[in-house]
Amino acid sequence: MKRRAWLPAAISLAVFILLEIASLHILSRNADLQRVWIARGAHGIMGAVWGSTQSVAEYFSLRSKNRQLAQENFLLQKELGEARERLHQAGIDNMEVHAGRGFEFVPAEVVKISRKKQHNYLILNRGFEDGIKEKSGVITPGGVVGIVDAVSAHHSFAFSFQNNDISISARLGKEGAVGPLIWDGRHSNKAVLREIPLQYKFSPGDTVYTSGHSLIFPPDIPLGTVGAAKIINGATNEIEVTLFQDFKTIRYVSVVHNIAFDEIEETDL
Amino acid sequence: MRSSEFWLVYMLLLLAQLLLGNYFTFTPYLMLSILPVMVLCIPIRVGSVGAMLIAFATGLLVDLLSEGVLGLNALALVPVAWLRNPVIRLVFGGELFARNEDFSATKSGIGKVALALFIVQAVFTLIYVWADGASVRPFWFNATRFGLSLAAGFILSLLAVPALAPDTRR
Repeated sequence: MKRRAWLPAAISLAVFILLEIASLHILSRNADLQRVWIARGAHGIMGAVWGSTQSVAEYFSLRSKNRQLAQENFLLQKELGEARERLHQAGIDNMEVHAGRGFEFVPAEVVKISRKKQHNYLILNRGFEDGIKEKSGVITPGGVVGIVDAVSAHHSFAFSFQNNDISISARLGKEGAVGPLIWDGRHSNKAVLREIPLQYKFSPGDTVYTSGHSLIFPPDIPLGTVGAAKIINGATNEIEVTLFQDFKTIRYVSVVHNIAFDEIEETDL
Repeated sequence: MRSSEFWLVYMLLLLAQLLLGNYFTFTPYLMLSILPVMVLCIPIRVGSVGAMLIAFATGLLVDLLSEGVLGLNALALVPVAWLRNPVIRLVFGGELFARNEDFSATKSGIGKVALALFIVQAVFTLIYVWADGASVRPFWFNATRFGLSLAAGFILSLLAVPALAPDTRR
């Protein structure tokens, strides 16, 4: 019988990989620094793998995508023209638009998204070579989507808002109370706004916005509308929020980064 | 060298490594380890997979019993065991495997033993320093630590070779 010379080498390689994975697993569970380091490495690999497969898929859908983007571009240009016209008519051409001031915006496409876990994530097709930085926000016209955690050259790994570890500082209306908004853990478009003091009045259908209290997201991004509420421990309201952005339909996003993030973080020390 | 003698020496050197790790910590720039030479000298008949399992267990034991991060020595030592056979084949030739014979400084020459030792010590130190730094330490720190640790570990390991791989010729 012909001897399979490659078999011992293959077994040896398999055992080597298994033992190294076991070592990395043990290491990540026992040291915070190494856990972050290993997670970043793994996220980078995931980004590269999913980015490559997405590139192939994209190649076959370029024509329809270009048509869609052209249509979106046309609508945006039209809206911009109308907005400029309204500003001109109101005589406030030189007024500075404050929403988003101090933030850099980079458009990106979601190449992979997980929605079925309690710790969901997104991988975007833009990396540090495109200007993406860690601790940037990920938003859509429908609200907040996630926070960038790790960045490789051409891809970014972001924790999705549909993640038990993520909370966003949100405001009831434009001038109402501020509280943490977290995913409800079950639905693709539902969240819970917590710690709203009882003296603040609100009605179903009121809009919830980003508060601007965090360094990651600009203020006044509409997130969703108020639904049912319940009183917790007789002290605060917990309000159900129906998000404008349904996570099942996310594809194009914007990555926002606070230009003064590092400076404020250093000051905060 | 009989198998039982080798494993007795192996256990004694393991004890010595624990003492080195716990009491001979002079500076953050220096990490003393004789684990690579211990793995390099595991008898050839043990095979690659066996050597890797022994290296993994040895690394975990050292991590557990010394002031280190659990998994770090195992992570750095398994590649040494995986590369052990190719390094021996490269430096000493394939005859050792054909004869199922272990190397020794007298039989193979101190130069060849030193070369093999340098390669495995460098692999181990590189992975250890890289993983321990976890990309938060500056390059110059890691480079200095790698250089000093490699030099010190190499000298210590050379001293351990006669005990682990004695000349068995009559």
